[in-house]
Amino acid sequence: MQTRATSQDSPTPGQSGILRRIREFTLIGRDPVLFMSLLLSGIFIFVFVVFPLYKSIVGGFVSKEGAFDVTYFARYFDDYYGPGLRKAFLDTMLMGLLTATSGTLVGFIFAYAVVRCNIPGKRIVHWLALVPTVSPPFALALSMILLFGRNGLITNRLFGITWVKGMNDVYGLDGLVIVQTITFFSVSYLMLRAMLERLNPAMEEAAASLGAGRFHLFRTITLPLLIPGIAGSFLLLFVESLADLGNPLFIAGNKTVLSAQIFLAVIGEYNYQKASALSLVLIIPTLVIFLVQRYYVNRRTYISVTGKPAGSQIMEKDPVIRWIVNGITYLIIAFILLLYATIIYGSFSTAWGVDFTPTLKHWTMTVTRGVEAILDTTFLSALATPVAAILGMIIAWLVVRKKFTGKDALDFSSNLGGAVPGTILGIGFVMAFNKPPLALAIVIYAIMALFFAQVIGRKAHERVIILVAGTIAGVLLTRLEPRAMYFYLGGMYLVIAVLMMISQRKVVPSLVAGLIGVYVMSTNWANAIAKPIATYSRSLERGFWSNAIYQFSDHLKVLIQPTDALLAIVLVFAGVFLMQSIKKSGFRMAVGVLGLAVPCALSFVGVPFAMVGGAYIIMAAFIVRSLPASVRSGVAALQQIDPSIEEASNILGADAQYTFRKVTLPLILPALLAGLIFSFTRHMTSLSAIIFLVSAKWRIVTASILSEWEQGGVSIAAAYSTVIIVFVLIAIFVLNLLVNRLFKGRGSVDMSQGF
Amino acid sequence: MYLTLNNITKIFPARGGVGEVTAVHNVDLEIKKGELVTLLGPSGCGKTTTLRMIAGFEFPTTGEIILDGQKINSLPPHKRDMSMVFQSYAIFPHLTVFENIAYGLNVQRLSKSEISGRVNRVLDLVHLEGYGGRAPTQLSGGQQQRVALARALVMEPKVLLMDEPLSNLDAKLREEMRTEIRRIQKEMNITSVYVTHDQIEAMTLSDRIVVMNLGIIEQIGTPVEMYRFPNSRFVANFIGRANFVPGVVKEQRDGRLTAKALGEVITLKDVKRQFNQEEEVTLVVRPEMVRVKKSGELYKGTIRRAVFLGDVIEYDVEVSGQLLTGLETDPHVMTLFPEGEEVTVGFAEGCIQALPAEKKHE
Repeated sequence: MQTRATSQDSPTPGQSGILRRIREFTLIGRDPVLFMSLLLSGIFIFVFVVFPLYKSIVGGFVSKEGAFDVTYFARYFDDYYGPGLRKAFLDTMLMGLLTATSGTLVGFIFAYAVVRCNIPGKRIVHWLALVPTVSPPFALALSMILLFGRNGLITNRLFGITWVKGMNDVYGLDGLVIVQTITFFSVSYLMLRAMLERLNPAMEEAAASLGAGRFHLFRTITLPLLIPGIAGSFLLLFVESLADLGNPLFIAGNKTVLSAQIFLAVIGEYNYQKASALSLVLIIPTLVIFLVQRYYVNRRTYISVTGKPAGSQIMEKDPVIRWIVNGITYLIIAFILLLYATIIYGSFSTAWGVDFTPTLKHWTMTVTRGVEAILDTTFLSALATPVAAILGMIIAWLVVRKKFTGKDALDFSSNLGGAVPGTILGIGFVMAFNKPPLALAIVIYAIMALFFAQVIGRKAHERVIILVAGTIAGVLLTRLEPRAMYFYLGGMYLVIAVLMMISQRKVVPSLVAGLIGVYVMSTNWANAIAKPIATYSRSLERGFWSNAIYQFSDHLKVLIQPTDALLAIVLVFAGVFLMQSIKKSGFRMAVGVLGLAVPCALSFVGVPFAMVGGAYIIMAAFIVRSLPASVRSGVAALQQIDPSIEEASNILGADAQYTFRKVTLPLILPALLAGLIFSFTRHMTSLSAIIFLVSAKWRIVTASILSEWEQGGVSIAAAYSTVIIVFVLIAIFVLNLLVNRLFKGRGSVDMSQGF
Repeated sequence: MYLTLNNITKIFPARGGVGEVTAVHNVDLEIKKGELVTLLGPSGCGKTTTLRMIAGFEFPTTGEIILDGQKINSLPPHKRDMSMVFQSYAIFPHLTVFENIAYGLNVQRLSKSEISGRVNRVLDLVHLEGYGGRAPTQLSGGQQQRVALARALVMEPKVLLMDEPLSNLDAKLREEMRTEIRRIQKEMNITSVYVTHDQIEAMTLSDRIVVMNLGIIEQIGTPVEMYRFPNSRFVANFIGRANFVPGVVKEQRDGRLTAKALGEVITLKDVKRQFNQEEEVTLVVRPEMVRVKKSGELYKGTIRRAVFLGDVIEYDVEVSGQLLTGLETDPHVMTLFPEGEEVTVGFAEGCIQALPAEKKHE
């Protein structure tokens, strides 16, 4: 619309705009690294963020028969379903408001204590305030119930309260809000702490010198300057609270909130249309706030806060205020410690509420029957972690350093996957990748093939031949029986290896091509490799080792048999890397046709992108959820690096690749490691996004906690939670150690970026 | 010529995406080997863009850049054999001083012994002997500046580019580094392009100054030429200070020009520009060309402001309704004229230059 308007007013700007786009595209084309990064991040985000979200939103309007249908929206307005649905909606909003308010308040008190009140044990307070971010989503709800529930340690044992009908208990909105406050206040604490630290003391000193009293000063200077931070934290907590699934499922009692409604629509009724419709109701306030946060609050933040942390800090002088603030902080810290201690103790008690004597029987269960979930979760989380961190760095690099059309869209959508409630994403994943439309595979293949032909072919006719011949060959290959096909595909890569050896006489690229061939073929041998391990595990006595080794055979298969459509994308990139530099036109075309036929066949074999039930869809969901954090930490790191540092390297004779290796990478390495920490944590603790994706074969600990809880296995749930917390803490500790070893204080990791 | 910019224009898309901005417009510049040329101008005048095009960080939209007889328009920076000192120094924070300076030599894969020899030599040159093992964070601003300079010098580049290298230093240090840079540049006979907005820096450092404004070159010349014979009001005002006095040409013969200004006729020498009879002109009268005496000078005036600056006394005198700034440099004059005092004002007529009268469209 806008372009039309301008081109009517004066034709030149519109025209030059188009010309500039074309010029820009040819420039991008000349820079294959940029081109590939764009393509890789673009495709990932399109396939795993935009497409599932679209499916999940549209799904609410499409009935089982495929007709347009608004039944589930109309229900909000009828007399039968209406009151209940509206009540749930209002309760959800109320929960969000209360959690946001109290979480922000607690966060502010913590920030004030740490920055201004010189609270004794500052570092410990800081780290304890962050612990809730690394625990599984319902750990706190669990321990809250263990302490204050109807058979709670404190309510029942300590005070001797026996629950009678009608008594207000921990279940319901009040308990939920308390739990959510403790779970989410860390975010608010980090935001407000950063703001308080960066507040220029000169401003408050100026106000004081102008005669403002301390209350007046706080009201007219400190508070208004903190407004962006407070507003930001409020909105963020509101969204987090709305999106939270774990805590409401545990502790909401007879109150229903939207996220739980969505969960029940899927798990209880298998009604995806209803779930989608409810998702839309939930996603609208979330998205509105996401947009407000992004385009309004953040913008104001930059204006009101200047630059680096100010050198000196104003300290709270009034001892009464100081000790009130510190006192509240200590109380909350004590409460947090109590909650976590309860989880750990809960995993050892014989029967909570009845018999508190310690026992190891729940742990025996957890490490035998539960070892599958623990190993699966850790394996998938760990495998997805480097992908998420590296993809995050790539996107951050594109966003900070490069200029291209659609940059804002990339930035926005990379954040979207983490911003929307996980349940919505999960539903989208199921709907998108259960029976994915062929059109998706065709579009992705078309983009990849055009890119491949563009880079490998030097002249127009070469490109056309590679494109047409490669595609036809690939489609024909899918006609073969799958087992034979993989042998043919692998064989083609072996031929490529030989051709490359003849034409280039370089060992390494040919060897890589050969290995790719073997890898593609080995799809057929996956069972042969994994089977002996599985058989061996069965021969063992049933228990931890037997289960663990059996899982190992499964994990091996995941590595050997990736989703074909994803392997195809990887092979296109690998092909470009390998074949780009072949000089002779004939060889290049032959290799190009073969190199395109393989991914083409892989793109269309079976039902492309039908990933539900597999391991890769869970990893994709993990990555989508953790991407925003690693993008943010990358962006923060890159923004701190003066672009002229890269230019300096450049003009001293280093090309882009050398510069990246010797200058950029060492400088962003701390951020990359931080990205790894955040991603791993996020993966291990995510529930809402993957709850619909777990299968009999791929169990996830958070989902197991939920099912144990539903079956009354409170102590096993507590044991699982402990495992997650311990694993995450170990990962953080190891990576932190690594960072400190590698950088010895130089380029410290800003842990706050990821949350 | 060693480095030639031929009719260079650079157009950027405007911020917000609509329209275009011409940052540099039809710039022609020739630089001799071993010469230090300063690009001087206010911010946004295109001087940094010009420098970045020479470096290869930006490519000109039209025009060509020729180095040593070779067209280098689309050559990327790392193939240009130039080096640059950045305003922010851009010292690699993860490398030591030695590693910073050796960076470019390492790229060239020189032998270890040659690298350490060259690095140590250049460390001596910038007076940082023994600082090689330090981390950049352990250095003061001035020392970081020297490291940045050393890192550029050690490459023995065809052209040394400097982008406001002294703007982050305090006044005293800046003065010191100015002479230092000039000394090293002459010693090594390095062709240099220096960008600054500080006219004193430009005057002290340069063989020639290029004054730029709004993307075009206003004037090129030696410091003396720029000061004595400014081509425009902009240059006259940017390099030094000036009173602009309107006048009308009466006669011009053998470089002498008589003109009527402020109601009196004065005679100027060495006027190169040709004017017509009765043409309106603007006279560039530097404050030091304005004498303020109790009596005996051509014009009558009233003191409006008098300031004692130590080495000079500065007056604002009103003459025929125009305020003129004048300086008293005679150390024997001990007292200031009070404000409101009636005085006489004279010009050092031989030093005054005339410019065509500019239309007041600003």
